[in-house]
Amino acid sequence: MAAIVRLSSMCRRGVKPLFYQSPLLSRPVAALQRDHEQQHLPTARIHSSQALHGSDAKAASRHWTAERVLSVVLLAMGPVAYFSPGPVVDYSLAAALTLHGHWGLGQVLTDYVHGETKVKIASAGLFVLSTVTFAGLCYFNYNDVGICKAVALLWSK
Amino acid sequence: CFLFFRTFARRGVCLSKPHYNALCRHVAPMGSTAKEEMDKFWSKNTRLNRPVSPHVTIYKWSVPMMMSITHRGTGIALSGAISAFAVAALVLPGNYSYYLDLIHSLSVGPYLIGLAKFGIAFPLSYHTYNGIRHLCWDIGKGFKIPDVYRTGYIVLGLSIITSLALVVM
Repeated sequence: MAAIVRLSSMCRRGVKPLFYQSPLLSRPVAALQRDHEQQHLPTARIHSSQALHGSDAKAASRHWTAERVLSVVLLAMGPVAYFSPGPVVDYSLAAALTLHGHWGLGQVLTDYVHGETKVKIASAGLFVLSTVTFAGLCYFNYNDVGICKAVALLWSK
Repeated sequence: CFLFFRTFARRGVCLSKPHYNALCRHVAPMGSTAKEEMDKFWSKNTRLNRPVSPHVTIYKWSVPMMMSITHRGTGIALSGAISAFAVAALVLPGNYSYYLDLIHSLSVGPYLIGLAKFGIAFPLSYHTYNGIRHLCWDIGKGFKIPDVYRTGYIVLGLSIITSLALVVM
C-alpha cells in the first residue's frame, strides 16, 4: 500500500515548535513500504490514526478548538458584564464559567489520573461537580441578586 | 504541563522523501493510537509497582515552569471557588445580602479586606493574562525562548498592577 511517508524529526533536524503552522502536519499518514527492503533498513514506527474511524478521529481536535473558542468568548464577557450587567449576561456567564472550568479540570484529570477505572470515577465526579455548579449558579441568578450584582456588591465593601 | 508539551514538541513531524534520508528510510504504522500506547505504559508500570523517576523534585525550576503550574493552580482555585459559591447558594439558608451584611458586621478592618480582595483579584488577573498568553501560543506566536520570558514577565507585571488597581477601586 503506497502513500505519502512522514518521518519523525529525530531522523533529521532538531526541535520544531508544537503548533508549527503547516498543512502537512494535520494528521499522520500511512507509510511507503517496500516490503523486501524492510528487514535490512532501520524502520521508524509511527502512530497511525486508522484505529479511529470517521468522527472519532476529529473529536479531539474539535474539542481543542472548542476550548479555545470558549476561552475567547469568556474573555469578551468580562467587559460586557462590567458595562451592561443583567440577567442575560448572568446566565451566559454561569454557562461559560462552568463549561470553561469543566473542560479545564478535565485536562488536569487527563494529565494526572491514569488507569481505566480511576479515570471513569474521576470523570463522573467532575461531571457531578460541574452539574451542581451550574445548577447552583442558575439558582442564584434566579432567586437572588445574580452574578454581576453579586460581584458589584462584594466589591463595594 | 508545560514540560509535557515541550516533550511532544520534540516529536514534531516533518515531511521528507525516503530516498533523501539515509537514517530512517522506511516507516511502519504501529496500528495503535497514542492514547492506547499511553494506557499500556501506565497499566504495565502500575502493575509492576514501579516508582516514578524523580522529575519536579530534581529538575531546576524555571520561570516558565512556575508560571505554567501557577496557571493551572489559579484555574483550579478559581473553579473551586465558583463551585463552592454555587453549592453554598443551594445549601445555605438566607440570601446573598444577608451573608454580605454578616461579613460587614465582623468589622475586620481595611487591611484585611484589602488582602482578601487581592486574594480574589490576583488569581483572576493572572489566569486571565496568562490565558491570553496561552491563546497567543495557540495561534503560533511567541515561542522563541526570549519571547516566552518577556511575555511571562509582562503577564506577571500586568497581573500585579491590575490586582492592586482592583483592590483600591
